Formats: sequence, C-alpha cells, structure tokens
Amino acid sequence: MGFREEIGKELLFFDGGMGTLLQERGLKAGEVPETWNLLHPEVIEQINREYLLAGCNVVSANTFGVNRFKCKDLAYSVDELVGAGVRIARSAMVSVRDTEGGARQKMYCALDIGSLGKLLKPLGEISFDEAYDAFREIILAGDKAGADLVLIETVSDPYEIKAAVLAAKENTKLPVVVTMIFDENGKLLTGGDVESVTAMLEGLGVDAVGFNCGLGPEQMKKLLPELTACCSLPIVINPNAGLPVVVNGQTMFTVEPDEFAKSVRTLVEMGASAVGGCCGTTPEHIRRVVALCNGMKITPVTDKGLTVVSSYNHAVRFSRKPLIIGERINPTGKPKLKQALRDSNMEYIYKEGLAQEENGAHILDVNVGLPEIDEPALMQEAVTGIQAIIDLPLQIDTSDTAAMERGLRYYNGKPMLNSVNGKKESMESVFPIAKKYGAVVVCLCLDEDGIPETVEGRIKVARKIVDTAASYGIAKKNLVMDALVLTISTGQDNARVTLETLYKIRHEMGLHTVLGVSNISFGLPDRVKINTAFFTMAMHNGLSAGIVNPASEAMMAAYYSFNALIGEDEQCMAYIAQCEKGKAKEEPQAKAPRQQEAGALGLHDAIVKGLSESAHQATIRLLEEKTQALSIINEMLIPALDVVGKGFEEKRMFLPQLLMSADAAKASFEAIKETLSKQGQNRESKGKIVIATVKGDIHDIGKNIVKTLLENYGFEMIDLGKDVEPEVILRTVQENGVRLVGLSALMTTTVVYMEETIKLLREKDAGCKVMVGGAVLTQEYADMIGADFYSKDAMGSVRYANALYERGEL
Amino acid sequence: MGLEQKDGMMERNDKELADAVSRNEIYRYLGYGTNAPDAAVCALVDEVLSELFGVIKPKSCYRIYDCRTDGEYVFVGDWKIKSANLAGNLAQCGTAALLAATLGLEADKLLQRYEVLNMAKASVVQACAAACIEAYCNLIQEDIRFDAQKQCGAPLFIRPRFSPGYGDLPLEIQREFFSVLDCTKRIGLTLTQNLLMYPTKSVTAFIGLTRNPENCHIEKCKRCGKTDCAFRVL
Repeated sequence: MGFREEIGKELLFFDGGMGTLLQERGLKAGEVPETWNLLHPEVIEQINREYLLAGCNVVSANTFGVNRFKCKDLAYSVDELVGAGVRIARSAMVSVRDTEGGARQKMYCALDIGSLGKLLKPLGEISFDEAYDAFREIILAGDKAGADLVLIETVSDPYEIKAAVLAAKENTKLPVVVTMIFDENGKLLTGGDVESVTAMLEGLGVDAVGFNCGLGPEQMKKLLPELTACCSLPIVINPNAGLPVVVNGQTMFTVEPDEFAKSVRTLVEMGASAVGGCCGTTPEHIRRVVALCNGMKITPVTDKGLTVVSSYNHAVRFSRKPLIIGERINPTGKPKLKQALRDSNMEYIYKEGLAQEENGAHILDVNVGLPEIDEPALMQEAVTGIQAIIDLPLQIDTSDTAAMERGLRYYNGKPMLNSVNGKKESMESVFPIAKKYGAVVVCLCLDEDGIPETVEGRIKVARKIVDTAASYGIAKKNLVMDALVLTISTGQDNARVTLETLYKIRHEMGLHTVLGVSNISFGLPDRVKINTAFFTMAMHNGLSAGIVNPASEAMMAAYYSFNALIGEDEQCMAYIAQCEKGKAKEEPQAKAPRQQEAGALGLHDAIVKGLSESAHQATIRLLEEKTQALSIINEMLIPALDVVGKGFEEKRMFLPQLLMSADAAKASFEAIKETLSKQGQNRESKGKIVIATVKGDIHDIGKNIVKTLLENYGFEMIDLGKDVEPEVILRTVQENGVRLVGLSALMTTTVVYMEETIKLLREKDAGCKVMVGGAVLTQEYADMIGADFYSKDAMGSVRYANALYERGEL
Repeated sequence: MGLEQKDGMMERNDKELADAVSRNEIYRYLGYGTNAPDAAVCALVDEVLSELFGVIKPKSCYRIYDCRTDGEYVFVGDWKIKSANLAGNLAQCGTAALLAATLGLEADKLLQRYEVLNMAKASVVQACAAACIEAYCNLIQEDIRFDAQKQCGAPLFIRPRFSPGYGDLPLEIQREFFSVLDCTKRIGLTLTQNLLMYPTKSVTAFIGLTRNPENCHIEKCKRCGKTDCAFRVL
C-alpha cells in the first residue's frame, strides 16, 4: 500500500520542525538550511532519523526553501539541493528500518515544498508560468531522487499553490498534500478563506489538504470545523508548538510536548486524518503525539456534496437561495463590446465587470469569442485582468476548447465552465479539461438530435451527461444543468417544458440548475415583463442560478422579492437595501452636490470644473444642435483642457483637478465617438505613441496619468503596461511605425533599464524620439541616459507631443 | 535583550488608523504643497479613505536589537552594516528596531480598480494609501517604543525611520532585511529581483530609539508652534 491508499483510511503521523533543530546544531542566522544537505548531510539525516524513531510515517526532506530564485545567490543548483535532501530522508528511512527490523512499515518520504517568496502577476512580479516552471524543476528533482509524495506547505497564495499542484500532477504520479498557513480569522495572507482554497484544491485533485504553521494546536482547533464542514478530502494538521514569542531576539515556541500531544489528540477526534508538527516542535513532541494517538480511529472521509465555485478570496455555494450570474461580458448582440474586443480594449470589459459586481452579481460570465480574434490569448488576458480587480468567481464561456483550457488554467480559484452538451464530441473534448482543472460545468440538455421538445427528452439527455461525466470521474456536484430556454413567441409550450424539466432535474435528479432567462421573450414586445415573470417561476421550480443582466432593475427586483418570499432574506434586509438603492438612483446625484448645482453647464465649464456627467450631457446637447464634432473638439474641448493644463503648470490647479477634467473630457469624447461611429467616422488620430513603465519597475500610476492626458489630446496610445522588456518596446515601435515613446521609472534601481531601453532603440535605429519621466529623474539624468525629452510632470509630455505633431514629426 | 514581546503581526482597528492619517500629507502627495484643496477634492479624499479602510488589513513585523555605531558602521544585533548616513541617524541610539509593514494586496487592487474606472480617484487612492502606510508605521513604532522602554527602563524617543535605499544605505540590504524578519511568511511581503516590494504600499525601515528627546524629530515638532506646517509629523 502506498501513501495515497493509506491517507484517510488510518491515522498517519507527519514529522515536526526542522529549523529550530538546525539552529541548535549550529545553523547561523541568514544561512540557507538546505545547503546543509551537502555540507552536513549527517546532521540532516540524524534529524530525519529522530523523527522516524519517534514514530512518524511521513518524513519531510529538507527541501522546503529550495527554488531557482534562492539558488541564484547560492553555489548549488536546485537539483543538487533537492536531490540530496530526498536521498538523505530515504537513507534515514532505510537505517530506521534496519534498526527497528522488518516490522517497521509505513514510512514515506515527502518532497517538502514551500512558497517561492514571490508574488504572482497580475498584482506581482512573476507570471503563473514562471512559478509553474520553478515548481516543476523542484518536483522533477524530488521525483528523480525517490520522493513518495509531494508536500506543498506553509503557502498562502492560492494562485501559487495552483501552479505548484499543476506542476506536480503534470510531471509526476506522486500523491500531493497541501497544507496552508491561515491566521486566527481563517484567512490567508492573500485574503483567501478556508472554503475557497479547499474548493480549488479538491477540484485540482490533490490527495489531502490541511493547515500548518502560523498557529498552535489550540488556535487550529477553532479553525478546523470550518474545514471539516466543506472538505471531502483527508485532512492533515501540522501546528506550531503554540504561538511564537520573541526572547532575546529569538523566536520561541512554548507549548511543551505533553500539552501539544493532548491538543493534537483533540484535532484527530475533530476530524484530522494525519497530524504532525511545524515550527518549534521536536522529535519529543511527535513521540508524545504518537504515543497518545496511536490506534485512534479517524473520522471517515465523506463527500460533502457541495456545489461550489470560488475566486481567489471567497467561495460561492449553490443552494436553495438562487445566484445571479452576470451575462454582460458576451459580445453576442453587443456591437460596442465587439469593437472593444477587436481593439483589445480591456478597459471596456473591466468596466462591464465592475458594473455587474456593483449591481449584485455573484458570478460573472466571460465570453470573448469573435471569429476574427485569437480567442485563447484574449480569454487568458480577460480572466487574469478581471481577477486583478474583481473578486467574483468567473464562468469561462466558450465553445473553443483551446480558449477553455487557457481560461481554466490561468484562473485563480475553482472556476465555472460554460458549457458542455450531450453530444459525444462535446463531452469528449470538454470533460477531460473540466476534470483536470476541477471546474463546475454547465451542461446543456441537447445532443446530436437537437433540443428535445419534451421534458422526458431533455431529462434523458441530462442523465446521459451525468453518466458520461461520472466515467471521467466528474461528480454530480460539479455539474449544473441548463434545461434550456426557447422563446414562447415560437412555441406556446416552451416555458412549461423548461420549467418542468428544471423541476425534475433539481428535485428528482438532485442537481443544481442554470438558465439563460431572457431568451424566453425573444421576439416579443416589452420583454422585461415576460422575463421577470418567467424568472420568478423558474426560481420557484428549482432554478439555482439565473444568467441575467444585473443592471435590469426589474429582474433584480424579482430576485430580491423571491428571496424575501422564500425566507432566504433575514428580516428582508437585502430586499430593503435594494429598494433604497433604487430610490437613491431616482434622486439624481443626491450624493454629489457638485454635479447637481452644475445643472446645464456649458461644455467648456463642465470640463474645467471636472464634471463628467455634465460634460457628457453638454456634448449630447451640442451634437443635437448639429454642431460639428470637429469643432466641438477643437473649439471647446481642447481649449478647456488647455485652461486646466495651464492652471496645473502655474500651480493654481492640482493633480486631482487635472485628472477630473481629463475624465470629463473623456466622457465628452465618448458621446462624440458614438455620433462619429454612427456616421461611419472616427476621431482623427494625431499619431501613435508607445508608453511603458520600464523593465523591473512596477509603479505605473504616473504612466497611466500621462496616457490619459495624451489620449484626450487626440494621440493614439499603445500602452505596454509595467515591467516591460526593452525588446518588447522596440518590437512595438517597429511594428507600428511609432515615432514617439514615453518611458516611466520610479526608482534609481530601474532607471538603468530605462537607459538600456533607450540604448536598444538607438542601436536598432528605431527612428523614434524618447520622452522620460518619473520620481527620481531630473533633466541631467535624462540627458545622461540619452533621452530626447524630460517631462517634469504630466502636462510636459502633452506639450512635447503637441510640438512634435505640429512640426510634422509624429 | 531579555524581553518577551509578541511576534508582531499587529492589526490595528480602523478608527485608530483613520485618526492617525494626516490629511496634510495626503494633500502634499497630491501636489498641493501647503495649499488647501477645494471642497470637492477634500470630499473625494474622505470617500477614498473610508473605502480604503473598508478593505485593507495592514500587517507588520519587527524585531528590537541592541544598537551601536562607529561613524561608518552600524551594529544592530549580529548585523554589521556599512552606512555613514544610517550611522548618523542611529548615532545616539542604544536600541534600534527593524520594521516591515504593509497595507496588503487589497490596497493595490483598489488602486488598479480605479485606474480603470476613474483616474482622478486613482490618484487620490495612491496618495491616501501612501499616507496610510506611513500612519500605520507611526502607530506600530509606538508599540516598538513601548516594548523597548520596558526593557531599558527609561523613557525612549523615536528617530525618523530610515529605509534601505536612503542616502548611502544600499537597497541591496533589503535581501538581508527580508531574511532577518522573514517578512514573506509572516506578513506576505515579497521582494522582486530589482529589490522593490509587493504589495507596493509597504515600508521597511530601521527605527532608532534614543534616550535624548532633543534627538527626536517628533519631540521637536511637538514643541514647534507652527501647527499648520505641511511637514509636521504629529
């Protein structure tokens, strides 16, 4: 029997801390513990041996802190340190078996993997793929050296954990155990909670999950019920010897072995399948734990049957109370979104997402499918981009399996997938991906024969899908059935068939359900009347989640009313809050007195005062009066921006005002753009400008401010983001024939990359001017690194770009 | 030092932090100098601060060490650092702390969110978050002072925080700083290859503690009558 067969069947013991023991044996502060695998292997083996002799079943190789980022500063490779660590642990196992005789069974060597110590993009430094590669290197070395399992521990970023788990599962057959470091409130440092990460890890198919480090056994007792309530996997608990205290500048853990063992025993009674220790625990701690717990029956591991999706920081459970899935990020029938996708205008997509979150969506559908675009790449960009700013779980919506896989792979959490159907081909292509990434899959009740007209027909397809999913190892809880909605304008029985199917799926088959609600009224006038009535009927018949437009007040009113009526809204608080939100909208701008007093301001004043709504309205009025778009821009908009820009340069006006005016001008442009595009025209571009925060630098607000202003003045901005490689900038300049580049750097340490970028542009004769800005730069510095222009503030770049434009150099 | 101190992962309640944030500093970050913003911008600052307090969970960790200097070198605990500027800052300090503090990922998320939605608001988030991390450090250094005072049995006064990268103190010591404090595991603070920090609204600093009140900038400000000074540190 191997570890995978044992865990969850019988109580297993893990080992305890390593760091403190090494310090006692002379490891100095700042010294990397894993180097001792090569420098003092006998010390490491002795510690491994002591733990095994204390009775643990799983001994962790001394490999916790090894990774390619740390090895850069060391004289050893990842392969050497990891390989040596695993071999030492194996050798300790052999020697213990020799000592204790053949009777000694159940010893496993864990390849111990900790955090890379880097934050992942989009909010951090390294990409998901870079993290994956770093973990793969460790895992391949550990597997080669003979590890029995992979133990990913003391991690607190679910995205990093996902990269590690995928690296383990895609490159080895080893069992994977993940234990995370939570604080006393049950939160990871990155904000995730117990249920959200557990859902993700179960989906990814790990063998056991649990807690380690951070807390002592007493604190973990308080947290464990949260885990047992949602977890369908064996649980591993490795606490510290209490909370740390600092004595003489040294971190100490003060819970003694006996007391520790007693608490750990309770953890086993509460549902842990395996226990051990972490910081501050010693072989003596483990010996006492084994003595006190050996032979205990563990709580059987049961499937909790929960249908859950999660984002990086919270889980959303399907239950009696229906959920709202926002449908707006889908180009079907939305020309503006189509255009945004063609232009890679992610901002438009993010705004759609934020608006839906604001309006009460629980999950966002993300569909970026257009025939002429690279859908897998765009799906990846949309998923990671949305997750950088929105906390809601996402539903990856596509029929392109490559886009599906990309979306699921780079998703942070347990995703929802839309969709599979009863066709053989669909199930064969979708289920393996859904299984691998642990998605909750939307299943459409149709197959090769089309959409069945009868309830029985649809149920038959639903059953076929459930059975086929099972053959891929996908449980019912990870399937959400779509009974399908056809408009009643083409068949008066359509609603009845859908509702009855829904009822049977939910109440007889016991699966959760989803519907694209508004299809019901296609082709009819005043659709919202039918939609709301149908939505309520569907929820009453067992709809678990409605794919709707959360901006529709009528639909949301139906939703909140329904919850209040079925007793899922305590004291009707959500319903009342929704009503008040509606009222606030009716009283125009009650919260923004400035906008109100502005009334019917002229465009010029609206922009100078920075009032977006007034500027938008004023522009619409002007357009209705048949004022030419061009003269609005040149005679009102730009002069108003100039007034503000001048005020800013003369220090009569300040940055927030400058940006408020920029936002107001943007609102005005939106109105103009709409009119122009109706006439089949575009605003004339004054030229393309590439803008970027240089390699190594992560501060991009300054760059974004400059971009906003230049856009207003009619320049077409190609924004490459932050931490941009010089080669990428060069390529973009060459491919787009760009004549001006703006570079930003905040730190002295990153100005070197600014210099490198300029050098490269000159060497390759890119034929562009370079303007630079950023906190540490000065005119002198800019001259030194060969920039053409130093902009001391955001307006400086506008002046320079305008001057180049007027000289015909753009 | 024979002192027991809580391993600092101090979380502060919002009220305390809200009271500690300096509006003047926010206005200064926004480029106002000593000018007062108009009512609309003041209202925006209020709005952003309350949003910020709603999402951030600041965390910090620190260690207190014996400290001495010899003009060119600083000795903090077992650590010997070459920096005349830091030695100057810590000249009269028998005690010094290493502090790492962060507002956490949520501040970065909020900033990114408004860079999409509303650039003016984003600039205010940036300024408020910067003032917030400073205010948070001001609160934590009071804890540090309290701990250190208990140990040395005499009133101590705080010197201005001195961060890696200031003056002749090389940014490279960030690496050692991170390893001594174990910031990544304890408060989720990470260091990039170029020695910048993620989450971005974070501070690492040496904090000197002196017995001489004359040597303390806060004490100096307290005695100064110019209460509307933009650089007042109270």
